[in-house]
Amino acid sequence: MTVFVVRRLVLLVVSLFAASVLTFALLRLLPGDAAAAIGGITADEAQLRAVRHELGLDRPLVQQYATWLADVLSGDLGRSQLNGTSVTAELGEKARVTGPLVLGSLALALAGAVPLGVLAALRHRSRVGTGISAASQIGIALPTLWVGLLLVTVFAVQNRRLPAQGFPVEGWAEPGQALRSLVLPWITLALSEGAVLLRFVRSATLDVLGQDFLRTARANGRTRAGALWRHGLRNASGPVVSVLGIQVAALLVGAVVVEKLFALPGAGSMLVADVGNRDLVKVQGEVLVVVAIVLAVGFAVDVGQRLIDPRLRETGR
Amino acid sequence: MRRSLFRLATALVLTGAAGFGAVACGTGESPSGNDGNTSTGAAGPSGSPSTAPDSALDPNATVNVRLVLEPTSLNLTTTAGAALEQLLLDNVYQGLLTVDTNAGNKIVPALAASYEASPDGLTYTFKLAAGAAFHDGSPVTADDVVWSLQQAVAPGSKQPNAKALASIAGVAAPDPGTVVVTLKQRDNDLTWGLTGRAGVVYKKGTDFAKLDATENGTGPFKLGGWQRGSSVTLVRNDAYQGPGPKAKAAKVVLRYITDRNAANNAQATGQTDIQTSADATLLQPFTGNAGFAVLRGTTTDKYTLALNNAKPPLDNPAVRHAIRRAIDKNALIEALGGAGVRVGGPVPTADPWYEDLTGIDAYDPAAAKKLLADAGFGGGLKLTLKIPSIYPAAIGDVLVSDLKKAGIDLTVKQQEFTAWLTEVYTAKDYELSLVNHAEPRDLGNYANPAYYFGYANKQVQDWFAQAVAAPDEKTRTALLAKAARQASEDAAADWLFQAQTITVVRKGVAGAPQHFTSSRLPLAGVGIVK
Repeated sequence: MTVFVVRRLVLLVVSLFAASVLTFALLRLLPGDAAAAIGGITADEAQLRAVRHELGLDRPLVQQYATWLADVLSGDLGRSQLNGTSVTAELGEKARVTGPLVLGSLALALAGAVPLGVLAALRHRSRVGTGISAASQIGIALPTLWVGLLLVTVFAVQNRRLPAQGFPVEGWAEPGQALRSLVLPWITLALSEGAVLLRFVRSATLDVLGQDFLRTARANGRTRAGALWRHGLRNASGPVVSVLGIQVAALLVGAVVVEKLFALPGAGSMLVADVGNRDLVKVQGEVLVVVAIVLAVGFAVDVGQRLIDPRLRETGR
Repeated sequence: MRRSLFRLATALVLTGAAGFGAVACGTGESPSGNDGNTSTGAAGPSGSPSTAPDSALDPNATVNVRLVLEPTSLNLTTTAGAALEQLLLDNVYQGLLTVDTNAGNKIVPALAASYEASPDGLTYTFKLAAGAAFHDGSPVTADDVVWSLQQAVAPGSKQPNAKALASIAGVAAPDPGTVVVTLKQRDNDLTWGLTGRAGVVYKKGTDFAKLDATENGTGPFKLGGWQRGSSVTLVRNDAYQGPGPKAKAAKVVLRYITDRNAANNAQATGQTDIQTSADATLLQPFTGNAGFAVLRGTTTDKYTLALNNAKPPLDNPAVRHAIRRAIDKNALIEALGGAGVRVGGPVPTADPWYEDLTGIDAYDPAAAKKLLADAGFGGGLKLTLKIPSIYPAAIGDVLVSDLKKAGIDLTVKQQEFTAWLTEVYTAKDYELSLVNHAEPRDLGNYANPAYYFGYANKQVQDWFAQAVAAPDEKTRTALLAKAARQASEDAAADWLFQAQTITVVRKGVAGAPQHFTSSRLPLAGVGIVK
């Protein structure tokens, strides 16, 4: 197990390094630069050149990359080319919206998907099972944007229970307001993610239900549900945990859409704006952090699976 | 895991590259097309903001205003773009002069109580308003004005729009209340230039590099705070002694909401009191509703179809005229919801030298076809339109179908605004392009052969130069009108429409701005009835 964790950690670091090179290189392929965004339509060529020089955009790419990497290694993601604010600080600020948004909707999705998925598997031949299954298919098919608009129309515009958009100016200093403004975004994100998760929980449970060891457990006198609870769920959780890792990445992408729809000042909308402004130092810092989160989740999933399933530990894979 | 990481990174980059939503571009362009300047209603401005006596207003009120484009920095001396001017000019920072947006952008005094020009137009003498002070309490002196203007016009100045003051030869302060500006040559645009950001008065010795974090303006509001990605708060400057009245509201929160549905919902549910740049196709909750007033305002947003005059086949005037005649502007405005007016030339209706040029190259698809055939393109013509993705896709659709009828096969290529700046604006690599030229008084672009239009007519350039140095306003106006007419007759570009701006105001809000809201938004007069 220790060998595995160490090997997996080395892989994590190598992947991060590769991601930093890729991010840096890919962003440089975009047409347009920060100088153009700063200077706008009134700047002449001489002004643009001066701005480029000031931002260091005229230095060789390898040199720019090396400077950035050195900063990152010392824990500094750099400064915005447009207004000089610290990327680390601003990411921290935005994480206070995007973090609760993503984690909250993940919790909500799990809370719905696991019991319903198991129920759908247990009753897969009855009306309840097919009903849940069909509903989850619809949940997957519905566009997030549309679901969000619908929720706003019903719960914010028609009956004024929740705010239609926005986040309190004072942020979490107004906890009640902040929570209220996250309710609809949570539901919007959780519906689509939960529907996907539900499908996996259902199929993993169905898979387990057909296994010999469950038949043996039932032969020993346990009920179907009891056998599943005692012996099945742990076996079924392996594939679900894998999918969960991938879904975290999907949630981060979904946050971009939901933050825009609800005008939330989160990391997703910041990233989109920064790409548009060609604030590349900021964008590459943000992308690197997102990549690091996704890689870390992947790492946690791999380790977690081995903790759940001793058979994986023995093969040493 | 690695595969999902790659997918994520790609997805993030792609959503960005596709210009998801309004791009906060640091330019003078207003992407309000995305958000409603191009929609329904009557041709002329209508509605009027409600007013209320000061005694009826709540002095402790907070006003919430929806804006579209968030600035990328709060520094007028480093970052271009209308978003910053909309937020800061007149509210936090002031210059010697400003404009009255309710009087067609007429130039009026601000920090200068009065001014006069010498008969030869080479010397301007400004008398400073008494009582004006910076937010740190120190009075505005002639020294501050001299220093600020000198910084703007200093050689190598990177201040956006500094060229608006390029004719200044020297600035002096004969006494603490007087500023004398001397010019290299007569420049009738100087006073206009002073109303803009280049004319802002900073305290002598201000460190421009620190303006992002600190502000020491002279306006009726102080900067309260900036929640990046969400809002900017302006707080009333209680020590304000003019020019003009104190702010009516204690606080104004400017909420940046790009999504038009979200903005509409925010207004409908009372989260905002004023919604600027409302989408006319989404006005149903507000029209005929006693709880709201819908104001229609003038803009200088000219949706301009740039035709690359320097590149075949568009260097052929017949092709340019054919394109203009093939486009049905009325139908286009209709398709976008109706909030626009035809202008037929490069001058917005608010500029003094505006005249109706819609008669030139009027819609006539048959004539367009014939022009093309005579020019040797009877067999058809393939052209590409590069359009920033912030504008409604409907514009491209209408152009494609109109031009098809004339035998032109138009390919529409959407691109991000920043990419547009580099590819079209700077490198001039395009055939047709469409941008909202939002600036007032920008006729000079047609007198500048290096501009991305590639339009070069010596006569127009001469008239423009003469106008800048004209001995009186009447001569100048006549010359500029002539130049504009010539540019239209040459089909230097096509002018699809001038947008209208729609502002939705909640009942009980007084003094809401109505006109030119995307470039200037004076908020001192806005209040909430008790």
